[in-house]
Amino acid sequence: MSSLKDKLNKGSFVITGEIGPPKGTDIETHLQKADLIKDKVVAVNVTDLQSAVMRAGSLATCHLLQKRGIEPIYQLTCRDRNRLALQSDLLSAWILGIENVLCLTGDHPSLGDHPEAKPVFDFDSVQLLQASSTLNSGKDFSGHDLEGSPDFFLGAVVSPGADPIEPHLIKMKKKVAAGAKFFQTQAVYDVEKFGEFVDKVNNFQVPIIAGIVILKSAEMGKFMTENIAGITVPDGLIKEMEKTEKPDLKKKAVEIAARLIRQVKPFCQGVHLMTLGWEDLIPKIIEEADLGN
Amino acid sequence: MHATIQKKMDVILTYLQPEEKIFVVGCGNCAEKCKSGGPEETEEMAQRLKKKGVNVIGYSSTPSGVGLCSLPMCRKMIKEENQDETNAADSFLVLACGQGIHTVIDATDGGAVHPGCDTIFGGETEQPGIVKEYCSLCGECVTAYTAGLCPMTLCSKMLLNGPCGGAKNGKCEVDREKDCGWHLIYERLKDAEKLYLLEAYYEPKNFAKWGRPRSLIVKGTEATFKSLAGEHTVSRED
Repeated sequence: MSSLKDKLNKGSFVITGEIGPPKGTDIETHLQKADLIKDKVVAVNVTDLQSAVMRAGSLATCHLLQKRGIEPIYQLTCRDRNRLALQSDLLSAWILGIENVLCLTGDHPSLGDHPEAKPVFDFDSVQLLQASSTLNSGKDFSGHDLEGSPDFFLGAVVSPGADPIEPHLIKMKKKVAAGAKFFQTQAVYDVEKFGEFVDKVNNFQVPIIAGIVILKSAEMGKFMTENIAGITVPDGLIKEMEKTEKPDLKKKAVEIAARLIRQVKPFCQGVHLMTLGWEDLIPKIIEEADLGN
Repeated sequence: MHATIQKKMDVILTYLQPEEKIFVVGCGNCAEKCKSGGPEETEEMAQRLKKKGVNVIGYSSTPSGVGLCSLPMCRKMIKEENQDETNAADSFLVLACGQGIHTVIDATDGGAVHPGCDTIFGGETEQPGIVKEYCSLCGECVTAYTAGLCPMTLCSKMLLNGPCGGAKNGKCEVDREKDCGWHLIYERLKDAEKLYLLEAYYEPKNFAKWGRPRSLIVKGTEATFKSLAGEHTVSRED
């Protein structure tokens, strides 16, 4: 029933999108961003308190997307919930009709707006995948039988730009063994590096969906390179943004995103578009990237 | 070694009533290493408190190298060597770790105590005055798989199966001055040609072993560790 699973199994190139829930209860505008891209993407990720900033939950938001006919990818991190709550929320997700789950470690609370919160991390992402697979098999993590079990399509994350990459490849292999059936990557800007990464993980035989984060400005590019792990925006792209006049920035952002997609397409099984509020540009990006329908 | 740091004077003063007769107690082991409650600092604290108008009726510390946390030693110091003053004291200001504080309660058969220090972590003394944390006292040491480096302590997220995606240039996302614990572990495993250890799947921690308060009872060649996870007995005989 998961279209994401179906398409990947058939070898179709997939496009996924992403939204973040509101810091509050006014969720409609956020859901409308997903409405904009409904027919352009196979599924939409909903983040789980990204950057450890307190917001409405991914579970509720995914359910609302599901109700509007948009297939969600439920992002679940290890930061805030122990093994009881994680398994419970997974069961709740299945009950609400959610099938795709992306299991992540989660950003540390000290990065967010409640830095004194107690970090949980009862599980790490590999253990969370293992627990999710165990639920799929009809048992909980302690070995008890379930009264009805889910059949999640499980995904995980990897950072092709991590340096050194070796420990991440070792961990990625563990994620596959624990049940990860697809990977969405951290933002890719260096296509050559991405190609090298793909070579190394070929034999894992899992679909790789390349993360494409829209570049909104040269400053954003520099900021990410300085501050965000695993992201290096090549000088060439920064210079391109610097040379662009303000009124043309959105057009240039679309151009760069589309170009990156065309360049990574031969190496991967899909792209994950993170448009940071500029979701209205997705149809244009898809068109310029020759992704068609 | 339990690292301790003195509480600020204005905080300590809030614990004390006017005219309360205080006996200052220090520790010649960990607190001496941290310069928070050794013999020197204990005498110094007594003077500082007197200057602030506190009714300090005496002070003492276990000798250099001797921990306050040994009940027999603590009792000896309080009940035998300083009995006149300690019998007259209303309470004890303890310059030692939390274990020392409770030892004073036991040594005085339920006497009133005030903490003079914050107990901050268990650490390695790299050199006098430089103490760093390498162990979280989790009760289930996994360092056989991580080249002796503890992921519970060195990884901000206590991950057991390798790094998260947050490290940049080998530094943790939480603090770009702090080494990524898994980067350190990876480098050491690689140098030792034991990277295969990272390939295995590690189960989550048994946090019941962290369920406090815990105890250790040693009888002959058998030691029993008791926690919320139950009793775990190990014999030294094979």
